[in-house]
Amino acid sequence: MLFFRSEELIAAWCRIRGITPRPIVRMNQLWQLAVTWYGTRLEPVSRRPAPAEMRRIFESLGLEGDFWDPQADTFG
Amino acid sequence: MDLDTAVKVAIYRSTADTGSPPSLETVAQRVEAAPDVVRQAYTRLRSNRVLFLEPDGVTIRMAPPFSGVPTQHRVTVDGIEYYANCAWDALGIPAALHRPGLVRSRCEQSLEPLILPIRESGPEASTWLFHCLVPAAKWWDDLVFT
Repeated sequence: MLFFRSEELIAAWCRIRGITPRPIVRMNQLWQLAVTWYGTRLEPVSRRPAPAEMRRIFESLGLEGDFWDPQADTFG
Repeated sequence: MDLDTAVKVAIYRSTADTGSPPSLETVAQRVEAAPDVVRQAYTRLRSNRVLFLEPDGVTIRMAPPFSGVPTQHRVTVDGIEYYANCAWDALGIPAALHRPGLVRSRCEQSLEPLILPIRESGPEASTWLFHCLVPAAKWWDDLVFT
């Protein structure tokens, strides 16, 4: 899980490694993921989101498809 | 509060206070339990994907978003320096602490430095991007690689 300066640099990084580029996440989306995952992490009540919750969280941010499905077994 | 929850909270609050995950002995003192009992709680927390431990079973490699080892993702909050496990966790540290901070990392291809101020409401406007190679279903298969 890495930062990149541009889509072109992501493409170059993947090309060098023979990897298919994955979905791109913008900084405002990443912040929402950070808050959702870690906002209560220091509290006793915190817990990891269950798979169905994870899917809903990703979908609410426009991150859809098998790549973001924690129970998918179809992604290559 | 049950023991596992008390151990988890002790680990996280100690890490928040100091910048690094605590030793087993420190956690045992905080929760007033024997180290061997706390070690068993560590094993359960690992099984529940709360902690990622080194092979010795007591050294905390990851208490996400915090890293127990230096990484390229550095975060400063209230003068305390933290290491994050990944780009997501770099933003996760100010989110977990509910405090403004400064994320310092890099573009993995060009190595251009990223210096990203984080307000309590979120990062300053930025065109930088996040790329995750591993699909969600496989994140914990090899968490260090993820």
